[in-house]
Amino acid sequence: MSENPWYNKGLFSSLNLREKTLLTIALTGLVLVVIFICGTMINNIPTNFDTKMQAPSFVHIFGTDWMGRDMFFRTIKGLSLSIIIGLGASIISSIIATILAFLASSNKYLDSFVSWLIDLFASIPHILLIMMISIALGKGAFGVIMAVAFSHWVNLTRVLRAEVLQINTSEYVALSNKFGKSKFWIAKEHILPLILSQIFVGTLLVFPHAIMHESSVTFLGFGLSPHEPAIGIILSESMSYLAMGAWWLAFFPGLALLIVVLLFDIIGDNLKRLLDPREANN
Amino acid sequence: MNKKIIIGGVIAVVAIIVIAAVALGGGSSEHAPDELVACVAAHGEEPEFGFDPMHGWGYHDSGTEPLIQSTLLKRDANNSFVNDLATDYSASDDYKTYTVNIRDDVKFTDGSKLTAKDVAFSYNKAKELGEGADLSSMKEAKAKGNNEIVFTLDKSDSTFVNKLTDVGIVPEASYDNATYGQNPIGSGPYKLAQWDKGQQFILERNNQYYGKKPYFRKITNLFLDSDAAYAAVKNGDVDIAEIPVSYANETVKGYHLEYFDSIDVRGISLPTQKDTGKVIGPDKNPYGNNVTGDPAIREALSIGINREKLVDGALNGFGNVSYTGVANQLAWAYDAPYKDGQVDQAKAILDEAGWKDTNGDGIREKNGVKASIPVYYTSSAVERQALAVSLAEEASKLGIEIVPEGKSWDDIDPVRNQVGVVWGFGSADPNEIVHQYDSRVAGEGYDNPEVLNDSAVDAAIDTAMSQDTDSSYSTWSQASQIANTEYPFLWIGTVDYTYMVSDHLDISKSTHLIYPHGGDIWGNIYDWRYVNNTSTNATNTTNATNSTA
Repeated sequence: MSENPWYNKGLFSSLNLREKTLLTIALTGLVLVVIFICGTMINNIPTNFDTKMQAPSFVHIFGTDWMGRDMFFRTIKGLSLSIIIGLGASIISSIIATILAFLASSNKYLDSFVSWLIDLFASIPHILLIMMISIALGKGAFGVIMAVAFSHWVNLTRVLRAEVLQINTSEYVALSNKFGKSKFWIAKEHILPLILSQIFVGTLLVFPHAIMHESSVTFLGFGLSPHEPAIGIILSESMSYLAMGAWWLAFFPGLALLIVVLLFDIIGDNLKRLLDPREANN
Repeated sequence: MNKKIIIGGVIAVVAIIVIAAVALGGGSSEHAPDELVACVAAHGEEPEFGFDPMHGWGYHDSGTEPLIQSTLLKRDANNSFVNDLATDYSASDDYKTYTVNIRDDVKFTDGSKLTAKDVAFSYNKAKELGEGADLSSMKEAKAKGNNEIVFTLDKSDSTFVNKLTDVGIVPEASYDNATYGQNPIGSGPYKLAQWDKGQQFILERNNQYYGKKPYFRKITNLFLDSDAAYAAVKNGDVDIAEIPVSYANETVKGYHLEYFDSIDVRGISLPTQKDTGKVIGPDKNPYGNNVTGDPAIREALSIGINREKLVDGALNGFGNVSYTGVANQLAWAYDAPYKDGQVDQAKAILDEAGWKDTNGDGIREKNGVKASIPVYYTSSAVERQALAVSLAEEASKLGIEIVPEGKSWDDIDPVRNQVGVVWGFGSADPNEIVHQYDSRVAGEGYDNPEVLNDSAVDAAIDTAMSQDTDSSYSTWSQASQIANTEYPFLWIGTVDYTYMVSDHLDISKSTHLIYPHGGDIWGNIYDWRYVNNTSTNATNTTNATNSTA
């Protein structure tokens, strides 16, 4: 990403790079927060069989589904559900990743164990792992969150482990060791502050993955009841009505999902630019 | 990562477009004049064990046309019994012995003769496996000579005559439990030519069939999901397809909609007992619910909801309301004992019973218990989902919260006696009343899931069991009426069976059998034919017996 992306050009070109980055983060963050808050405020989307299967109009801008429910509200509700699940999953997976990275640094047996664990999880296809964990944990939103969390720590762990290993070889760590500081103290005072930005960015970058995988598993019928408005469920339901010409059932929710995922990715990339010293010059 | 996600998204969009294009596009395919391509298996499902009546083929809550095998009796369009293999049948005065004589001229498609021994074998085997017809009252079936079968029962059972329609007859000599389903040998109007698992089965006419020969020499039946079935109709690939009621308002050129009232009723079981931590049945399921355990809740729901609205909405108008769980076509049907949509009265009943909304959240409480009922439905059944969701809206008007949960049967089974469950019931056999209300089978399988315990109902069932068939109907009706005074089920309505039928195909609407739960359309295949539909109402039909020998 050496080039200036499209969202940093044009209208705001008078701002300097740092301001633009901050502005991007703030704006995308605002959009996501608005979606999230709106979604949590929608509690009940009434059915109305008089207006079922209507194409998009000014009354129902995303159209209506087979029970006459407004697809715009369902989409927003679904997105906010995705955001909650994504949030839970990415926080938990970052915690797992951090713990494992520190475990790996403590001695060489644990290090090879963690490496083995990383290889093991990396070798199983994500979607399979998610399905297995979500069934084992009794499906439902909880099952999906845990399943996504337990399958998405791998990349971040690998990065953090390398980072911690590198910091461990530095002179000030060796010095602290000689002074008799405990391993825990070194981890807390020397290592954690240095990898905090990595953890933070890592968490945000897991987010889009988590949301995509949440939609995939709900699409496949794992997780939530089929009347609940999760994006995956909405999309899989729309498949049955495509033959009837109801394109709007798939198009708008699919597009909305793509946009939300992109927004998170933009935030992640920009944060990385801000926090990671190696990218600060870009 | 950014790129990956974008690429993934693009792939997903392209995939959807391609699927849609495949589903919507394409041309029609031609087939021979006496070949039929259909997509109409009951519930769109493929028989797991193949075409083996011992494993339930040809039975679903009532006997359905097994096509490949013969049965002793069949039903006609008026739901009366007619002979198939049987020439006559009689029951002893105590309804503990049934004697059936069968015809002498029937051969299996492998050339061997069908005798009374094959009939006795089929019934004993079906009872042993217990996967299809309910033969729990039968002790044994015995052949007497070549043409007479004697059924001995453990107890009086005047409904046993219904069981004579339920079991397809297989040859004793060559029957093999493991392979019969793939290579069935029967004596029905068709024989199995090919079964491509997961895709289709192909039937060819059995030219040695003793009865009225069907017009179609070959039937290909596809196993498709409902959206794919509809797409096949749009493509002109099939002559007839079963479609869900939600598709029934669509129009396709060259096809018309035919729909049939069924006796397949949808109702929600409301556990009648309080939850005391006790268990019931062979599965040791916990039972009871502290909300529905209060009769006031059950009554208020039954009289307070608007069934007409539910049928018009959730069933797309293709159904009939039901207050009793007994469809009008049945001999033991009775008039609705109450009117529904009485919101004010329902509220008064709840108030009187002490269910009041004290915290202003719109949901009533009593002694700290919230009037909230989980209602489980099978995720795969779209009409049950729609019913559960719209019912929740109806109930909220009364201050009762219904929480729909879409689950698989594996997930529903452990809690089926504790929560509301959306059931489908409907048999042409009055024995259904036993399954619904008899306290002696409560909690066994799907029997009496609401754990109703009423000795008056049990007594009426016992009386009906030893009455002759015709007079038993009023007793069956009584048993159902007594049971329903306690509102053990929230009955909603029967679901129509809807088909897209090619304009060139006449499926003889007047001779259709009644549709039980899971019923299929094959019952009057003998009367189906192609028609030349160029002139209006022309019945330019080809005579089946002339077209082929």
